[in-house]
Amino acid sequence: MSAVAAASARGAWAHLASGIRRHKMASFGAGIVVLVALSALLAPWLAPHDPLEQDVLLRLAQPTADFPLGHDSFGRDILSRILWGGRVSLYVSTLAVLIAIIVGGALGILAGYIGGLFDRIVMAAMDVLLSFPTLVMGLLVVAMLGPTVGNLILAITLTAVAPFARIARAPTLAVKERDFVEAGRALGFSNLRLMVVHILPNVVDDILVMAALWLATAIRTEASLSFIGLGVRPPTATWGGMIREGFENILDSPWLAIFPSLAILVVMFGLNMLGDGLRDTSDPRLRHE
Amino acid sequence: MSEAQHPSLVVDGLTTAFRVEGRWYDAIRDVSFSVAKNETLALVGESGCGKSITALSIMGLVPKANGRITAGRVLLDGRDLVPLDETEMEKIRGNAISMIFQEPMTSLNPVLPIGFQVAEALRYHTALAGEAARARALALLEHVKIPSAARRFDDYPHQFSGGMRQRVMIAIALACSPQIILADEPTTALDVTIQAQVLALLAELKSETGMAMIFITHNLGVVASIADRVAVMYAGDLIEIAPVEELFEHPMHPYTEALLSSIPRVDRDAGDLKPIAGQVPPITAMPSGCRYADRCPLRVPRCTKMPPLVALAVDPKHRVRCWVRAAEESANA
Repeated sequence: MSAVAAASARGAWAHLASGIRRHKMASFGAGIVVLVALSALLAPWLAPHDPLEQDVLLRLAQPTADFPLGHDSFGRDILSRILWGGRVSLYVSTLAVLIAIIVGGALGILAGYIGGLFDRIVMAAMDVLLSFPTLVMGLLVVAMLGPTVGNLILAITLTAVAPFARIARAPTLAVKERDFVEAGRALGFSNLRLMVVHILPNVVDDILVMAALWLATAIRTEASLSFIGLGVRPPTATWGGMIREGFENILDSPWLAIFPSLAILVVMFGLNMLGDGLRDTSDPRLRHE
Repeated sequence: MSEAQHPSLVVDGLTTAFRVEGRWYDAIRDVSFSVAKNETLALVGESGCGKSITALSIMGLVPKANGRITAGRVLLDGRDLVPLDETEMEKIRGNAISMIFQEPMTSLNPVLPIGFQVAEALRYHTALAGEAARARALALLEHVKIPSAARRFDDYPHQFSGGMRQRVMIAIALACSPQIILADEPTTALDVTIQAQVLALLAELKSETGMAMIFITHNLGVVASIADRVAVMYAGDLIEIAPVEELFEHPMHPYTEALLSSIPRVDRDAGDLKPIAGQVPPITAMPSGCRYADRCPLRVPRCTKMPPLVALAVDPKHRVRCWVRAAEESANA
């Protein structure tokens, strides 16, 4: 089955990749996302200084050639903290969205394929999850279970599962009625195989478009939770946490909050461009324009 | 070629019911026939007569939500398929019995390469895997005469024409060397010239492999060119079954007669075409007697009271389900 899944995934990726290449906005967005991801991944080598090293003498120091983004209220290098903070933000949100795709996608395809009572129960549960605003869900989980990275991921996952279940279910309902599914049944394929090998590749486009947009939402949620103090504990650098720390000195040392905000802005911009572009390329009505 | 010698598939008294607004109605009723190795049985009849329901019942693919087989047996080499559960049927479908569908444009998964789809059936039902499955799939595609099959192995369905796609479907159906192939109007969606090619290919493959074929169609021209025997269905009843020449020359059931005289022919005036008056009764209002009685010129009182049994004509291979004709035959004999 893994070879089979790999082959079908290859087809979907090839299709998406060519879609991105042909779409200017999507390739631009993808470029930004790749750059940010690389800078986060390579932070240990790229960061000019230790993100946790404090220097009381350089408290709130202005940007200089050596420290291009200045220092924060503990005298730590902001550039290094942004690079390291990107690791945490991207790690948390990517993992959360990945889990949400797998869980939500599986639930959505199962619900759409099986239908009936199972469908109604699953979708009712998803509606309950959807009724919580992201931030409220984050507050609930983190306040109840404690502010750890794991709980942060859980909180964001819980808000993202329902949209992925919905986005997977809708096309499944349409695809399962198509002749090739009936033909697969006539070839003796099991329900599991029909779902994984024949329906999933027809649904994966929609899921991946959503993934780009939800990654942006997840990064924002992570930053928001960190901003209100429910994210990863200090002194670990996160973008949201840095903004909060900088907020206290926003009037006299604005660079403390501005630079991590810019980092978030750039990622969100890139992901939204990528997501919109992907949606355009996967929409047959727009594909030929 | 006689069905008595090697019946590969025997359908015996098959009745399949569907639920319409809470009540169950028989969509096909007491259908019996058999197919031998290397034989093509054509199942003909107009839309909605139960041809496809018969095929789905044989495959065990009647939608469970509102359909079920209420009586009868489907014997594959003597083994009854009707009581088998889903897991056991999955081993038979695509393996011992496979099906070719009407719509080649939509019966292939659009996002998977065609070579993969042929190899998938092999990987699923046989011990072949990886390169071996790929090599066999390529051989199958060459066998169904896909031009430059090796180069096109990883192409997607949309890159093929309808006729080529139907060849791919045939390759998939043949992948596991089935004993029986059920072809549900495989040429209906194709151009006439492509139809002829696909029919020739099917006939060739059938005689090569010695498999039995059930060919569902409403096109009597196709029947004449491919079938060994013909079974005619009307409103869920199998009303007449006979060798192909016999049926065309001596149709016995009044419906078969009417059907044959409603085919346009180049050598006859279009004015000679005789439409059959009346309509097929709806499934919710089927008469308890002969279902053709309302439209039948030969009707006698008994027709509307009791469903006719299958009677033998002079030739034991020719059976007809008609009170009047059966009585005539027994009087002659």
